[in-house]
Amino acid sequence: MLMEALLVALWAALCGIDKYDVALNIHRPLITGTVVGLIMGDLQTGLMAGAAMELAWLGLVPNAGAQPPDVCIGAIIGTVFVILTGENPEVGIGIAMPFAVAMQSLVVLLFTAFAPVMHKCDEYAKRCDTRGIDNMLYLGLGVRALIYAVVAFLPVYFGAETAAAIVALLPEEVLAGLSAAGRMMPAIGFAMLLKIMLKKEVAAYFFIGFVLVTYLKLPVLAIAILGTCIAVLDYMMRSERQQTVAQAQPASAHGDFSDGI
Amino acid sequence: MASNTAYVNDIAEGKALVDGVSDEILNQDYFEDQSKEEVITKKDLWNISIRGLFMEGNFNYERMQAGGWAYTLIPILKKIHKNKNDLAKSLKMHLELFNASPKLFTFIVGLVAAMEQNKEKPSTIRSLKVAAMGPTGGIGDAIDHMTLMPITLGIGASIALDGSVAGPFVFFFLYQMIHFPLYFWLTFYGYQSGVNALAQLKEKTVLLSRAATILGLTVVGALSASFIKISTPLVVEAGQATVHIQTDLLDKIMPNLLPLGFVFMMYYLVQKGKSPSGLIGLTMVIGIAGKYLGIL
Repeated sequence: MLMEALLVALWAALCGIDKYDVALNIHRPLITGTVVGLIMGDLQTGLMAGAAMELAWLGLVPNAGAQPPDVCIGAIIGTVFVILTGENPEVGIGIAMPFAVAMQSLVVLLFTAFAPVMHKCDEYAKRCDTRGIDNMLYLGLGVRALIYAVVAFLPVYFGAETAAAIVALLPEEVLAGLSAAGRMMPAIGFAMLLKIMLKKEVAAYFFIGFVLVTYLKLPVLAIAILGTCIAVLDYMMRSERQQTVAQAQPASAHGDFSDGI
Repeated sequence: MASNTAYVNDIAEGKALVDGVSDEILNQDYFEDQSKEEVITKKDLWNISIRGLFMEGNFNYERMQAGGWAYTLIPILKKIHKNKNDLAKSLKMHLELFNASPKLFTFIVGLVAAMEQNKEKPSTIRSLKVAAMGPTGGIGDAIDHMTLMPITLGIGASIALDGSVAGPFVFFFLYQMIHFPLYFWLTFYGYQSGVNALAQLKEKTVLLSRAATILGLTVVGALSASFIKISTPLVVEAGQATVHIQTDLLDKIMPNLLPLGFVFMMYYLVQKGKSPSGLIGLTMVIGIAGKYLGIL
């Protein structure tokens, strides 16, 4: 079992990278189930289990930093379970779901824990140390791959039941609290942006954007188009005024105001 | 400037400066070296596009994709900014909050590359990049998650359910046939659009920067309302009446009141000089305590 568990872990590490970067989409249950089936020596069952889980979880994709249950870890554990026990893929989905949810919490935790890395990057920026900034990215990729590998390895090696008992031990409030904190955290990034961008004469535009989402529920694209229109109008009006001022000056030298507006 | 000549060699060898550039210089809103040579080649655009594939490598909740965004741009920034103060300034600005669709953000990469090359003011570049990131998120989700992904996966899965191993392959190739060409093309398209637009807008940088700020701030306001999610499940029993604090009270005053309040609390603390690391710790404490007390 060790060999299979190691190979599955290696595949999971690749999927961990692929889930957020590169997007070969090998982490989707359809492909991952098939590959895990191949590793476990039952390609056909893996293929069917992967396809079944894919159809069940089609909608679970990350949007704007919000994390749905992790379909990749779910597919790996579900497929292994189905192959080892000979149960239906539907049972596999039920077994895999707690892991997918637990993995989601772990990813939230990882994304929270990586916030301080940005301050390290700031220091590198000051010293023009681009290699340092590069390395911080590789660190992020490495840690993520490692977490996926470990989480995939344990259930395959120790059996899903033992692993489920471990998952049950995680303190629910702390995980829920951290994920709530994660959803609040972009406020810090926005505060830093506002510190630089917010000036009295343009501050109103921040609230215009805010109100358009909050009350009118407009999509961000609509607001960006509207914002572009306002920006273009502002630009046109001001450059026109600049031209009028520029034209008015030589004109006044001749004492001719006839074409002034 | 002797120090700067030494710097050019250092950068070529990939060495870091011993002393960091001072905050005073970092906060200046212009690039010292205003030479606008066209240094970006096709090869550079390919290079940054490939690096861009790893733009979520150190995704985090404080600045989201900022680390990967800066990582993507590094090769061209090094090529454009031969002045160490300018490079530090630019890197620092590109490490600010960024979040866009990883599949479509290459358009912004190309656009920003053109702006950096034209030595636009950092504030203008920031505003435009911030304004562009919101829509690519929305369009990206609509194209990728709502359309391309379900269709290609649906086709692949149905073939697989018939017992054919072709299923996963069909999904893989159908998806990538659209994903990769679009992804790389957008870098070149963004760059060319940027170069053309900037050529028309030259000599009006003050107005351009004002217009960009208007657009940027509008989108930041919109994103604050959609990215930050805070609500309370708190229920107050007052005799016969039960009051759901979120839906019956806060939402009646203004929806998204808590996210807005939290942004400005953070803004206030940042202005007070509190470090972002401290604010992250504070947010985590609030999150966990909030769950235990049942107010979050």
